[in-house]
Amino acid sequence: MAMLKGNLSPFLFAIPTKSRIPTASLTTSTALLHQPTVCENASMTTTVPPLPIPSPPTSVYVHLPFCRKRCHYCDFPIIALGSSHNQLPEHDNNDPRISNYIHVIRREIEATKPRSPTGPPLKTVFFGGGTPSLVPPPMVWSVLETLRSKFGLCPDAEISIEMDPGTFDERKLRELKELGVNRVSLGVQAFQEELLRACGRAHGVNEVLEAIDIVGRCEIGNWSMDLISSLPHQTPEMWEESLRLAVGAQPTHVSVYDLQVEQGTKFGQWYKPGEFPLPSETQSAKFYKMASEMLSKAGFNHYEISSYCKNGYECKHNLSYWLNKSFYGFGLGSASYMSGVRFSRPKKLKEYMGYVQSLEDGLADGQHHDKHVDAKDMAMDVVMLSLRMARGLDVKEFTRTFGKSLAFSLYGVFKPYVESGHVIALDEKGRLLTANEFNSLASNGCEVDDMVAFIRLSDPDGFLLSNELIATAFSVMSP
Amino acid sequence: MGYLRRASKSFIKSRNLSILSAFSAYGPSTFDIRSRFAYCTHSRQNNRESPIDLSQYPPERIRNFSIIAHVDHGKSTLADRLLELTGTIKRGHGQPQYLDKLQVERERGITVKAQTATMFYRNTFSSPNVKDTEESPTFLLNLIDTPGHVDFSYEVSRSLAACQGALLVVDAAQGVQAQTVANFYLAFESNLTIIPIINKIDQPTADPDRVKAQLKSMFDLDPNDTLLTSAKTGQGLEYVLPAVIERIPSPPGKFDSSLRMLLLDSYYDEYKGVICHVAVVDGALRKGDKIASAATNQVYDVLDVGIMHPELTPTGVLFTGQVGYVVSGMRSTKEARVGDTLYHAKSVVEPLLGFKPAKHMVFSGLYPADGSDFDALNHAIERLTCNDASVSVTKESSTALGLGFRCGFLGLLHMDVFHQRLEQEYGACVISTIPTVPYIFEYSDGSKVKVQNPAALASNPGKSVTKCWEPSVIATIIIPSEYVGPIITLCSERRGEQLEYSFIDSQRAFMKYRLPLREIVVDFYNELKSITSGYASFDYEDAEYQISDLVKLDILLNGQPVDAMATIVHKLKAQRIGRELVDKLKKFIDRQMFEITIQAAIGSKVIARETISAMRKNVLAKCYGGDVSRKRKLLEKQKEGKKRMKRVGSVDIPQEAFHELLKVSGNK
Ligand SMILES: Nc1nc2c(ncn2[C@@H]2O[C@H](COP(=O)(O)OP(=O)(O)O)[C@@H](O)[C@H]2O)c(=O)[nH]1
Ligand SMILES: [Mg+2]
Repeated sequence: MAMLKGNLSPFLFAIPTKSRIPTASLTTSTALLHQPTVCENASMTTTVPPLPIPSPPTSVYVHLPFCRKRCHYCDFPIIALGSSHNQLPEHDNNDPRISNYIHVIRREIEATKPRSPTGPPLKTVFFGGGTPSLVPPPMVWSVLETLRSKFGLCPDAEISIEMDPGTFDERKLRELKELGVNRVSLGVQAFQEELLRACGRAHGVNEVLEAIDIVGRCEIGNWSMDLISSLPHQTPEMWEESLRLAVGAQPTHVSVYDLQVEQGTKFGQWYKPGEFPLPSETQSAKFYKMASEMLSKAGFNHYEISSYCKNGYECKHNLSYWLNKSFYGFGLGSASYMSGVRFSRPKKLKEYMGYVQSLEDGLADGQHHDKHVDAKDMAMDVVMLSLRMARGLDVKEFTRTFGKSLAFSLYGVFKPYVESGHVIALDEKGRLLTANEFNSLASNGCEVDDMVAFIRLSDPDGFLLSNELIATAFSVMSP
Repeated sequence: MGYLRRASKSFIKSRNLSILSAFSAYGPSTFDIRSRFAYCTHSRQNNRESPIDLSQYPPERIRNFSIIAHVDHGKSTLADRLLELTGTIKRGHGQPQYLDKLQVERERGITVKAQTATMFYRNTFSSPNVKDTEESPTFLLNLIDTPGHVDFSYEVSRSLAACQGALLVVDAAQGVQAQTVANFYLAFESNLTIIPIINKIDQPTADPDRVKAQLKSMFDLDPNDTLLTSAKTGQGLEYVLPAVIERIPSPPGKFDSSLRMLLLDSYYDEYKGVICHVAVVDGALRKGDKIASAATNQVYDVLDVGIMHPELTPTGVLFTGQVGYVVSGMRSTKEARVGDTLYHAKSVVEPLLGFKPAKHMVFSGLYPADGSDFDALNHAIERLTCNDASVSVTKESSTALGLGFRCGFLGLLHMDVFHQRLEQEYGACVISTIPTVPYIFEYSDGSKVKVQNPAALASNPGKSVTKCWEPSVIATIIIPSEYVGPIITLCSERRGEQLEYSFIDSQRAFMKYRLPLREIVVDFYNELKSITSGYASFDYEDAEYQISDLVKLDILLNGQPVDAMATIVHKLKAQRIGRELVDKLKKFIDRQMFEITIQAAIGSKVIARETISAMRKNVLAKCYGGDVSRKRKLLEKQKEGKKRMKRVGSVDIPQEAFHELLKVSGNK
């Protein structure tokens, strides 16, 4: 087991609370190391190179948890405002629940120590929810301003916001656009009245069409549409229609989610996956393939398991997740990833507010410096995340970071799946390796590194079984 | 039962759980564990003021008897009462089965190991002529409680070898049951004096007259000799020991001959080492003697000798006809061959008739569920068998399951209890293969092999099999008469041959069947009970091998035979069993990345086939955003699920599937 040892790879640094270091080059920050975490198993038997120092985050996720009501499939931390909440903008401004929350989230941002005082400015900001479009634009602006003054914001930063049909008008979107939002993620989910109703969505098809129209009129050049497949009572015809109308709306990005029936949701109480009225596993696999096929034909790249985009329109923010880059997270239940440590904020409002208070009191910093980072753990994250992408796992980099033996064990376990076509190995020139080539390389360790540049899952067969394939990879990485 | 309470408390304190588990072979009863446990905890503090002088008890003042009964008819309770009555243990308020600490005992409530206790009793009651009670003689009584389940009749016959009489306890409401019959005959064949006792007469449904009539008609026991008791209320108990003294003969040994003693039992004590229970048949044994084993010719020094009273109570000597314990520096219970004759080294004696060695009737492979846990399983099995010579263990290996053990058991319950204890007490996670019985195959070249592991039998041997034999049993079944029809059907489905069919009385039928052992190994007793709503009683004894028509049934996954799933079955049953095995596997193996074919085959002939189509979709396409930990947890869980499966070739088999295979009987 190769664990990160503080003195071998200085990496878990903590900057004293009050002191600000003017220029923190790599060496100076190394010199100011926090007492290194020593783990019991300090002997490193395999030749695992020290983990690279993660660069400071340039992405921020801001959780705006308000919804008019909870959808039947949703298990995210949200705050339902209730039907009394009027969607008209003038009323939004007055809801104290929203303004109070915005106040707390700004306090959280203020109380957060930047990873590096001279760190690079933010490249992506993502307002997710909940239904962020319920938050009045001036409040969104105030959060953005807080972020800007705290961390700096690149002039060309990707600033995304999730918006639900029926929660905004043209004026609201223009306002958002003016204050810097340049990417919209529209939560359409379905184009069928009965399906929207079955999901407990707070809008109908008319609102969907109107929302698409508004996005067009506001000339949002970079927008995404969310769809959900495998909904109860959904037929292939309905799904085909949704995909067709999605293509017709000409977004630059489409996210296709596959319904996950979660415990504790209404769907969780009502339905069992694979059983009526939910589609069978076979049917649901067919939906996935239909999406892949239709969207690809329409010129979208299937660049991640559930994401499609026109050339150059990848969601930069999400890419930072999949590339295992650091990111800040603010707001109720949000996750952050800094210095190799993942942290999720409390999911209950009261506890979250307590957390922000302790942050201000210097009692918590949300960064858990005392957690040691296990290289194998990180390697598993990298495998899990990168195999979600069409680009796949960058084998060379993986080997450099985590050592040959771990990479080699992956080849071993993937051999049968290269043969079956679920896994694809590519060389540096992007040429597909045949199963025979891969097999002989995999059994003859040394050369593999030279030949294989990327390992990825095939589209759609490999993607469809990604859980199984990743879990299989896990079983050799952490037996 | 204050004494019991004490014992149990100190037991809980003693951190050494192994003591308990070491006590008995497979789930001690209330009584067993009490007494055994007590030996360990109290023996060292045992410095009595007036040591017992055994020389006062010549054979004519000794009675050795055991209590035999169908399960739950009240052996252990009656034994408790007799121990109280004689002041051997204090009368208390302990709950019955209070010391059944092991989960397996509490769940099953069974006695599986014989236990011995020595009591002293002055016969005041039935000697009205003796005016001065001071002068009525004191007797030394050795009481042996015996197990009451079919699998353990071996234990019963062992205990009987040291006795001259037996109390045959019958529940006043339930009447004669299968083990009553089996145990009666064991005692009868050993020429023991039998004292019939109808117990539980306090029950509202008690019908002692009916039971008396059954005893008369079935065993020719005189109703006038029958005692009526309630071990619960104490009613009638005062007649029991006087009857023991009056009716049971004293042990027959010769006081002045050289020492010969029978090794009845042994167990391992953390402090003292191996402790042997012995019955001194002739002569006397003293501390410091050198004794030899007739079986091994090993010589030992007698370090300690005494009686079970019920704690180990040193007496320094044991005389003819007495039963007690010996500590002799044996290192392992394996040296203590039960049934062996021990005698004075250098003397020349004729060995006593030993008992038949334990016969292993059922075999099964035991494998660690996780291949890497072999050492842990090895350790657990070693510990558990330390006191249970009745399980045979040999290492074996399987291509499918890796390294494991082939274990032989006395019967199915024995096997079950063994598994359960391995899991509960040692945390071992085991996969066991389909239980099999030892078959004999003869080949065209005249060679014969005994097959305890079906995998060892070649599926396509070069030479042809000319004959095969399978072990059979004689089963005794007692049922309410209305179930006769369905039970006859059950037995004939199981290839049984009816040997006897009669009625105990107007309500109960008695049947004897010869059945292939294989047919009762799986599910027979359960089936019997479910057909009769629990009213059937059943016992069996092993009988000779019978010529049979046997075939090896292979299970193939994706065309590869899985050695651990092979079975040997009767040709006529092969189709049904093959179908059932394939269906079970189909039901319990999840869809996987690739299609799986499951086949059952005899040689190269496939007799059942199923396919499990490939998994279609297993993907997490949900907007979890940055919540990587959550995704990760999900996949880790999936990985852990894989870990709990056995990978055979390219197929992941859940442990559950193996467990299900054990239940396949081919009779559904
Ligand atoms: N009513 C009643 N119950 C009894 C009597 N003797 C034993 N029992 C109960 O019958 C059950 C089985 O007794 P036990 O001594 O364990 O039977 P064993 O299996 O033969 O050893 C226990 O619940 C006892 O309490 C009795 O004389 N009357
Ligand atoms: Mg009992």
